[in-house]
Amino acid sequence: MAFELPKETTDSKIREVTLGTGGVKVGGENVLPFYTFEGIMPNRPLIAVEVYDDNPVEAWSPVVVEPIKDVIADPVAWARRAAEEWGADLIALRLKSTDPKGDDKPAEEAAQTAKAVADAVSIPVIVYGAEDMDKDGDVLKAVAIAAEGKNVIIGPAMEDDYKTIGAAALGYKQSLVAKTPIDVNLAKQLNILLSNLGVDVGTIIMDPTTGALGYGLEYTYSVMERLKLAALRQDDSMTQMPLVADVGTESWKAKEAKAPASDEPQWGDENKRGVVWEILTATTLLVAGADIVMMRHPEAIKTVRKVIDTLMS
Amino acid sequence: MEKVQVCFYPESRCIEVDKGENLLRAAMKADVHINASCGGEGYCGKCRVIVEKGEVKQKLQVKLTEEEARQGYVLACTCTVESDVEVRVPIETQLGDRSALTRRPPIPLKGYTLSAKEWAERLPQWELNPPTTKFHLLLDKPTLEDNLSDAERIKRELSKLAGLKEVVIDYPMLQALPGLIRASSFDVTVTVLDRGQELRAVRIEKGDTSVRQAAIAVDLGTTTVSTQLVDLQTGQVIAEASDYNGQISYGEDVISRIIYSTRATGLAKLQSAAVSTIWNLIQQMVEQTNMEFCSITHLVISGNTTMAHLLLGIDPRYIRVDPYIPVAQYFPWIKASNVGIRIASGVYMRCTPAVASYVGGDIVSGVLASGMFNSERMTLYIDIGTNGEMVLGNKDWLLSCSCSAGPAFEGAGVRHGMRATRGAIEQVRINEVTLEPMIITVGNRRPVGICGSGLIDVLAELFLTGIMDERGKINVDLPTPRVRKTDSGGEYVLAWAEESGTNRDVVITDVDIDNLMRAKAAIYAGINILLQEMAIDIDAVEEILIAGAFGRYLEIDKAIIIGLLPDVDTNKLKFVGNGSLLGSYLMVLSKNLIAEADRIANMMTYLELSTNPRFMDQYVSALFFPHTNIESFPTVARRLAEARETAKAGGPAPGGEGA
Repeated sequence: MAFELPKETTDSKIREVTLGTGGVKVGGENVLPFYTFEGIMPNRPLIAVEVYDDNPVEAWSPVVVEPIKDVIADPVAWARRAAEEWGADLIALRLKSTDPKGDDKPAEEAAQTAKAVADAVSIPVIVYGAEDMDKDGDVLKAVAIAAEGKNVIIGPAMEDDYKTIGAAALGYKQSLVAKTPIDVNLAKQLNILLSNLGVDVGTIIMDPTTGALGYGLEYTYSVMERLKLAALRQDDSMTQMPLVADVGTESWKAKEAKAPASDEPQWGDENKRGVVWEILTATTLLVAGADIVMMRHPEAIKTVRKVIDTLMS
Repeated sequence: MEKVQVCFYPESRCIEVDKGENLLRAAMKADVHINASCGGEGYCGKCRVIVEKGEVKQKLQVKLTEEEARQGYVLACTCTVESDVEVRVPIETQLGDRSALTRRPPIPLKGYTLSAKEWAERLPQWELNPPTTKFHLLLDKPTLEDNLSDAERIKRELSKLAGLKEVVIDYPMLQALPGLIRASSFDVTVTVLDRGQELRAVRIEKGDTSVRQAAIAVDLGTTTVSTQLVDLQTGQVIAEASDYNGQISYGEDVISRIIYSTRATGLAKLQSAAVSTIWNLIQQMVEQTNMEFCSITHLVISGNTTMAHLLLGIDPRYIRVDPYIPVAQYFPWIKASNVGIRIASGVYMRCTPAVASYVGGDIVSGVLASGMFNSERMTLYIDIGTNGEMVLGNKDWLLSCSCSAGPAFEGAGVRHGMRATRGAIEQVRINEVTLEPMIITVGNRRPVGICGSGLIDVLAELFLTGIMDERGKINVDLPTPRVRKTDSGGEYVLAWAEESGTNRDVVITDVDIDNLMRAKAAIYAGINILLQEMAIDIDAVEEILIAGAFGRYLEIDKAIIIGLLPDVDTNKLKFVGNGSLLGSYLMVLSKNLIAEADRIANMMTYLELSTNPRFMDQYVSALFFPHTNIESFPTVARRLAEARETAKAGGPAPGGEGA
């Protein structure tokens, strides 16, 4: 008799969340990440490509700017490029221009950008505010109104602004991301609060906060893993939401990713270093349980897509 | 006590109460909502009801017109029930309270307090045999033939009279001896202290003073100090007094006290603050009774390890640093005057032994009083104080741990928190529909603050009515002036300035709630860790004993609603009151129990939580009302669902900022 691998199966599964209006779904798995020999992952993990609305050309490493320099000032063109050329599954539009500490652009203007992006691409769009407790509520409400009918994913809703953002998602039938600071209990608590508000738990995606390689990656790994275990092994319904990892932004914050070779000659080729940093962060968190990775550099995106293809085959 | 029946209409809810019970309290007990915001002083005039049948006694009521009085209107808070009565609550007094019909009667912890009979069963070792005894001696006068020394003469008489051998005579007594016995014609009373290992004659008095003997029991808490004056002849408590610990001005918790003690004169200041607090309380108690200072022969003091160190003037600094070592676990009998408690000559005191740095004599004393060390049943003892301590076990083993809860449930760290003294709000109900409160204060005075039981009530009511969310944040968007937003967050007004005893609004704030939530989370997390450590499910615990100074009306179902206590069959829960004080009281009277306390301190195992990796996780999980895992609180989930239904049926749901 041939050896048969023992299987740990469960009746629990991650909720399947519909994104946008084109039939894109995320989650739905009843197994730990890529354990396809024990159960099913009906939807492959998705790559959301970051698009910023505040022309980050000055702020970013030239290594990331180079492949997008012709579209970096135009979020719509940037999103189109991501969708058409890099094979993005989603767009992650970040309305950084609304940051009161920065350009402090009005909510309406940002909402128009969001609508233009959502109109320009056929894939679903995640819209993040500037992660400012006071401003995000207004911004995301305006986005929810402007993009009504598009089922965009607004966020991140956090402990101090979940009411306004939750109400906006609820009122204009959008999905949302709930973000908490690297803690299983806090993640669960925010989901409970949102569901008490009336938000359909089937429209929530969790962002447990990402630490990049060298900057707390192991904490994020552990929290994602525990959330998945609670969801699948303990059938904890308030942790059965798909997970999103904020890879691009966090990886490219790392000094090791962006320092020019002239500053740190012993660190190696600056054109590869940051890209590799992003790839490692993304693949690690995919294995930890991320259902969506938000990414930045086209080369990193290409490689991670290959990794997902391999793991899913 | 004669019982009478009170029926409230239109709810048709009847309840049996003691004759002479206050009508507003009767309504609270029957869970009938009557608006009341002055605590029961008759000042706000809101609690008008009509007595339709039966007799009530009422104080002068200036808040009612003659016409109203003729119609049978009374103010519920100023009435006592004198016969079976029927009371109609007019619509303006209940404000359209349809919810009253669906609410469950509360479960007061009062009814669950251990009775004297239960103690007798739980503590067969107890007997009235105090560690000090007074012996009235008629000494033979010395002669040339019977020429024993004065001291040996006393020893001989003690041996003859009471069979006491090998009594050591205290040095100061020797000095007093020659003059005193001759001045009293060899008719003296000698006080003998049984220290366990030796008998010591500690005091000599003229004539027969043996009929009057008293002792002091002390619970030396970090925040609150409680004392009892005990008559050793009858075993009765003849006076009680309590106050905040004078050390509070040097820091709220044991850690800040220890830090303060390492300053130049810090230790001496802390010692003297504790001594003055105890001394003032002793004075108060003596003044209340006809007992004299010189009748007091000993003290038993139970406090946490740090408190014992500070009282004894022992450097506590190593308690605070890894590996957390106290100077001593067992403390000898010492002269009270050595630490500055100067009651009379030869008064000795003993601090109850501790288990470890953070499980002290207060817990040993409480475990002793609870009798759990005699029990076959799996028992969980929980002491809710500035530190929350829990002990799990039975007669075979005891496992303890401690977590820092903070003084919130004792009223400190809460804007209008206070001890359960006059004017403290001790019971609260909030109407789900109108969001108006019904409050009762200690002594039926105008409210000046909120005590522990009131705080638990407030949290549970705010939560059930949806005024406060699971994170403990007050929803300031509700359509009532009772909630409002301030710079430091939301607050709920329990009593308006004109109804309060302080001319200020009595409020509970987001910050208060946060402190209370931390306290309850620490305690609940400690309980869980203890159970996990022994792999025991909460349902396997047969009895849960709660100790703490909450005031009289702590309702256990409220404590469960906020997630302070586990959601178990409420019949398993018993209240021992102030366990540390109770244990001190029992030890004052019974030297057997002093020996038992030593044994308990020795047998108890200590679990250090600061190094337990699971504690933080459990704690964060409990920082939510009632808990992140609502599955662990099935009855609370049901009550919440009911309360939300009621609110929906009674008026617009108190939802958030809906779209």
